[in-house]
Amino acid sequence: MVKFGIEFVPRETYWKIIYYVIQAERGGFTNLWITDHFNNRNVYATLTAAAIYTRSIAFGPGVTNPYMVNPVFTAQAIATLDELAPRRVVLGIGAGDKTTLDSVGVEMQKPLAAIQESIDIIRKMISGETVAYDGEVFKTAGAKFLFKTRGSIPVYVGAQGPKMLALAGKIGDGVLINACHPKDVKYAVSCVKEGVAAAGKKFDQIDVAAYTSFSVHEDIKKANKAAVPVVSFIVAGSPPQLLERHGIDVKKAEEIKEALKANDWGRAFSGVTPEMISAFSVCGTPNTCTERVAELLKSGISQFVVGSPIGANVREAINLISGKIIPHFEK
Amino acid sequence: MLSDKLIDVILASKNDDKLPSQLAKTILHHWQNDNLKSESGLATLLESAVLVELEKTFSALNELQMSDVAEQIKQKLAS
Repeated sequence: MVKFGIEFVPRETYWKIIYYVIQAERGGFTNLWITDHFNNRNVYATLTAAAIYTRSIAFGPGVTNPYMVNPVFTAQAIATLDELAPRRVVLGIGAGDKTTLDSVGVEMQKPLAAIQESIDIIRKMISGETVAYDGEVFKTAGAKFLFKTRGSIPVYVGAQGPKMLALAGKIGDGVLINACHPKDVKYAVSCVKEGVAAAGKKFDQIDVAAYTSFSVHEDIKKANKAAVPVVSFIVAGSPPQLLERHGIDVKKAEEIKEALKANDWGRAFSGVTPEMISAFSVCGTPNTCTERVAELLKSGISQFVVGSPIGANVREAINLISGKIIPHFEK
Repeated sequence: MLSDKLIDVILASKNDDKLPSQLAKTILHHWQNDNLKSESGLATLLESAVLVELEKTFSALNELQMSDVAEQIKQKLAS
């Protein structure tokens, strides 16, 4: 049976996020992902609160990156959370987004090597080893925790490009595919499968998630309106090939990008078309969202992640998903 | 339902700084135990809503035909 995950951006105060997390756990979600950006509230403080106020939901950063946080600190945070909520902690890690890294002057060097090496280091640290590591990007000289860890933690790799997707399939316990449209997810899963085969694993040994921008409301106009700001940022950050694959005018995307750069939100948001919403979000009434999830499941994913904005009213949206969408897939 | 109306007022509010952290924790405690509809849960929600969005709280109470409660709160705040 497909798992449902939910993503929160800790831009809101911690207790509101935790209110929604408790609601989501009660409503049938099995996985919680908290984003990790320096300009929002801290991911591990938020996850600690989530661990305290929930009983069963699996949770982790979705996703952290090894450039902003050295892998030994990520291992430390994850191992500590594992003491708080044993067997519920997972780690989502990816290369990060260039815009955020640029804003703090951090270079995204050799992303494939950085991800592979950081996961190696994190796994070794969490298993209690003394880690002497001489990688292309990361080096450690006998790093070891002074506390006893509890064992392994599932590692999910956040990926979008073909090489990172294949690496994710090869080394990950799970993959977080950053895509919403069936065409994109199908292609991404084929890349993951290449990595899985290269590692001599079986595809069903890993949890493959579609990590989507999601917006649900009984009124389609309200669902669309909530999706527009998020979609505008996705469009602005998408490479031309991806836009062309969905028949989106690259010039229009460029205009949105310029408007966002100029903080002209009205112009940016008014440039978002229905085609863009369809390509870069799962958006609509509960029925249309259910159909889209069903379509995505055909690609072979095992987890569907409901990501920002979730809906115009997050509390109502979680109720709709729990009451009308998740039950459809429990039959 | 009153608890839903009040929590919507609180969740939508941008005046997070007006809500004491202990009160926020009390909301979560009640919610964790599915107890927000209880007398003490509703009291916590009402206290919180009044602190963060006074006028919207009155509107919510009036919508639910609870203008007497709104009036009592106004009198208490005035005293």
